[in-house]
Amino acid sequence: MDHMELEESPKQQYSDKEKENIFNNEFMPHINSMYNFAYRLTLDQDDSKDLVQDTYLKAYRFIDSFQQGTNAKAWLFRILKNSFINDYRKKSKEPSKVDYQEVESYYNSEEVDRQITPDLRVEALKDMIGDEISNALNALDVDFRTVIILCDLEGFKYDEMAKILDIPIGTVRSRLHRARNLLKEKLSEYAKQMGYKNA
Amino acid sequence: MSNPDQNEKKQECQNQRECMEMLQLILDGEASPDQKEHFLMHHLEDCIPCYKNYHLELTVRELLKTNCTGQAPQELIDSIKAKVIPNFLSR
Ligand SMILES: [Zn+2]
Repeated sequence: MDHMELEESPKQQYSDKEKENIFNNEFMPHINSMYNFAYRLTLDQDDSKDLVQDTYLKAYRFIDSFQQGTNAKAWLFRILKNSFINDYRKKSKEPSKVDYQEVESYYNSEEVDRQITPDLRVEALKDMIGDEISNALNALDVDFRTVIILCDLEGFKYDEMAKILDIPIGTVRSRLHRARNLLKEKLSEYAKQMGYKNA
Repeated sequence: MSNPDQNEKKQECQNQRECMEMLQLILDGEASPDQKEHFLMHHLEDCIPCYKNYHLELTVRELLKTNCTGQAPQELIDSIKAKVIPNFLSR
């Protein structure tokens, strides 16, 4: 996160009492969501703790750039996501599988139109223990994982996601669409494996 | 849920791609009340693939919520507080 991004909004001048109040009552309540986001991004417990701690320390340091009454959770998520890209993604053990340009052109191609209807049924899903869902999510490429976390786990709106990720709303929508199809493909693979077991 | 009368219902959706997009808009809370009513009250009742997709999508979302969230470790919370709170007192 460079300083420009945190300083683009008008600077506030909070008193120490106000800072303490914002930090404790607007920032800390999101700690579980923040930790979960960090964990799903890094897939490593130590890295996720460091990432969350770094994010909160940055949030405190730049607290004057936060406008009270705006969405603190989205503000924190954006700092975390930028910290992840700048500080963690490079050193991440996970190989960078996706060339960004390639991904964007893929979203815009006819391929998105291809209706993937995995042979997946509600009954099969309900038989799954939690691990399969979690593993399926973690198996997605980080860009796809991210939109599912933001939308389905955290309930962010498309416009909020666009701001957190610095991408247009149209890209949010197409990426979500693709991510959900990939997730269902993964789940349907697991369902098939379970079917073999039960047979 | 009413038991679908197979004879009156569409076994195949004519607008599958548009329907899937609408379905996601609705589940993401991004559809207008009109879009929502039209799709849920009219289309979904008559279209078997869309009806199935709707419930599949709902189930995936529920499972994600129940299985993919967690709690931050207490040591992390304590560590953040220990690093930040002295700043409030030091000035
Ligand atoms: Zn339909």
